[in-house]
Amino acid sequence: MHVMKSNQAAAFRGYGAYVPYYRLPTTEIARIWKGGGSGPNTEKAVASMDEDTVTMAIEASRYAMKMAGADSLGAVFVGTESKPYAVKPTSTIVAQALGQHHTLAADLEFACKAGTEAIQVITGLVGSGMIQTGLAIGMDTAQGRPGDDLEYTAASGGAAFVIGKNDEKAIAKIDCSTSFVSDTGDFWRRSHERYPRHLSRFTGEPAYFFHIEKSVRTLFEETGHKPSDFHYAVFHQPNPRFPVEVAARLGFTMDQIRVGLLNPMIGNTYAGSSPIGLAAVFDEAKPGDKILLASFGSGAGSDAFCIEVLDGIERTRGVNPTVRSMLDHGSKIDYSTYSKYRGKFH
Amino acid sequence: MARKSAYVVSAGFTKVAEHWDSSILDLAVEAGTKALRAVPKISPQQVFVGNMFSSAGANQEHIGALVVSALGLEGVPAFKVESACSSGASAFNIAYSMVSSGAIDSALVLGVEKMRDLEPEAVSQALSMAESAEYTQFVGATFAALNGLLARHYMERMDVSRDELSALPVIDHANAVAADHAQFRRAITPEVVARSGMVADPLRLFDCAPVGDGAAAVVLTSESGASNAKKAKMARVLGGKVSTARFNMYEREDMLDFTATRAAFREAMRQAGLPPQKVSFVELHDAFSVMGALSLEAMGFSKKGMGSKDAKAGKYGLRSDLPVNTFGGLKARGHPVGATGVYQVAEAYLQLTDQAGGNQVAEAEYGVTHSVGGVDTTSAVHVFGRAE
Amino acid sequence: MAIQYWRIRDRYYRLVGSRCSKCKAEFFPPVYRCRKCGSAEVKDAEMPKTGRILTYTVLHEPMAGFEAQAPFPLALVRLENGATVLTQIVDSPEESIQTGAKVRATIRRVRVDGDSGQIIYGYKFVVVG
Repeated sequence: MHVMKSNQAAAFRGYGAYVPYYRLPTTEIARIWKGGGSGPNTEKAVASMDEDTVTMAIEASRYAMKMAGADSLGAVFVGTESKPYAVKPTSTIVAQALGQHHTLAADLEFACKAGTEAIQVITGLVGSGMIQTGLAIGMDTAQGRPGDDLEYTAASGGAAFVIGKNDEKAIAKIDCSTSFVSDTGDFWRRSHERYPRHLSRFTGEPAYFFHIEKSVRTLFEETGHKPSDFHYAVFHQPNPRFPVEVAARLGFTMDQIRVGLLNPMIGNTYAGSSPIGLAAVFDEAKPGDKILLASFGSGAGSDAFCIEVLDGIERTRGVNPTVRSMLDHGSKIDYSTYSKYRGKFH
Repeated sequence: MARKSAYVVSAGFTKVAEHWDSSILDLAVEAGTKALRAVPKISPQQVFVGNMFSSAGANQEHIGALVVSALGLEGVPAFKVESACSSGASAFNIAYSMVSSGAIDSALVLGVEKMRDLEPEAVSQALSMAESAEYTQFVGATFAALNGLLARHYMERMDVSRDELSALPVIDHANAVAADHAQFRRAITPEVVARSGMVADPLRLFDCAPVGDGAAAVVLTSESGASNAKKAKMARVLGGKVSTARFNMYEREDMLDFTATRAAFREAMRQAGLPPQKVSFVELHDAFSVMGALSLEAMGFSKKGMGSKDAKAGKYGLRSDLPVNTFGGLKARGHPVGATGVYQVAEAYLQLTDQAGGNQVAEAEYGVTHSVGGVDTTSAVHVFGRAE
Repeated sequence: MAIQYWRIRDRYYRLVGSRCSKCKAEFFPPVYRCRKCGSAEVKDAEMPKTGRILTYTVLHEPMAGFEAQAPFPLALVRLENGATVLTQIVDSPEESIQTGAKVRATIRRVRVDGDSGQIIYGYKFVVVG
């Protein structure tokens, strides 16, 4: 049995997203590096000079905590590949900002999958009864090497989730999840390097498609679920094309993935990518809707979840700004401003 | 407390400039020597050195002892006195208090500042230490930024225009033309002010005192001490008061009400037994044009909201009824911060001993010096009159 | 200087000021004595995170450490409880930064000690609406 189900069900009780204010049109990147044209996505979200994974994680967490009405956390996990400190946990700064000290705090790294891993770990801690409530965050200020194709999509943003008891206040139940990993290097960054490196065609079949199809098909086989059981599907979104392709292969329709597909507007927020897609879905989902969530990271793994929306979702409307409102509240910058902002953090 | 008389019997000062070739000690010794040489029979019993940031500007503390030793006055007690940009005036106030109470007969008050060895961003950093490290410096608000906030607040609430705000800098520059020790000696127009580079919107370069180095010194004596300075020209100190206000400007009931200046002025004038109409000139602390305007209002020379407007209408020029900053003030004579308060005393002394040359205020009888630390956080006001 | 900021990180992260136990007045930065009634019985209290701009400036000549951000806006923000905060304004179009504009608090990198030193986080404000 590869699908993980906690003894007691754990549920989302609050969520919050964060998308920074600045937007870089991909035509700007293409203008500088290719003499014209654009990238696969229209724009990407860019963190300001004074933002980083810590500040964005705190903003998203504050929204999630407010929605959940939570005042005590037993665990704070931040999944990111852009920690401001290589050594000094992001999660403790987030915990301090939330006034939490009696808490298990840790940072996770698994490229774009670290956010959903945080959800799995917190689910385990809650489901085993070890903690009452925990906070799982997927957030990144992704670094794109200047002139590299990934520069079009490497973006900033993510989401935070308060996970706890599955009672009448819960928003959505975490039914089960599964994880599939291998040693497959399609995307990596050595310790003292500033920017990651990646392969090109290899990032498709042997990496993205292989691992996502593995985790999702495992989930389908062991739970008996089929695509039509789900109202929404959210996949990791490195570009606008891959999630559409993997959705089709797995039997999902465009209608099912549309709400959670944000890459065209904000690019790939790495560890924040599928989490923020999930938040966008939560903004619209109705009680009873099932959501399939599948992340992917670093060539090497995919987490798949079956999530069931509960009645509690109705009381969340209007509590926080929606993901859509954050997408709409953006200000375009040019490549030189982006370079200035990007030059300031590591 | 019955005050004994106190007299300023000499003054010595350097030009205010970017003194690339002079250290902080060189400047202090130059000014101190000039002041002492004029009254060779007087040996000061205490030395007070007004200075704001000898540590940041010259890696030097303990400058009271440093100066005393360089002047050959070993044995004489010496202290650094610091109250941000009013350090010099505070040093003078302590000396005045000791002389007028009879505790000592004579003192050397010296103000010195070495700012230019620091790069501009570092000067800004050093000056910002007048304000809260944890809540003002921390957010990147420089001292100029605080005054920028104050200036916008003033202009919006009191309907003061850009041209009106420019009036005091224009007066300063006009007066400095004939002042040998002034840093900037070129007359300007309101257009020059309005077109100068933006510092902290709405304050522009010409709204702000420049960065410069300088030292000024005066010898202060009691009546009996003055008998040793028979040939020297003298001015009398009639009153002096230092007052303080709530530390953060924005925590005050009304930011436009300079309560420290109001209180210090009132008390100094009361000691002097002088009605405000009798004041012949004011050496005003206009580190920023807005500070000058608000200080004039706090002293009652202008009604609330009228400081800049009155300056524009000609009320404070050198040939007007109440000349202000007779040698150029902080904007044009310059503002080596800790030294400024003593420059003002020296300038008042020159006026009241008819040694002001082309800057002489006709029939000057009484003068007021006004020096501020922070945004009217510390205010030191002294009143002077003729010796006869 | 990291320690000087570390000890007041809650004030920076959560805008923790003071509330007077006697007259209930609230202040930021924190105070040792109530500014209204003079009582020494003041306790820590988290400030509301919204308010209005009382006045503002745009700083063109920064101090050391802030060169990259210049020019940047600073404002006095009067919070809903009457306390006044001196702060930077970020992510707000120039025209929106006006006396009276509504703002909300956010958390940002305020000071960074070069490439190898610590990052000090704290409050900044954004214009809303």
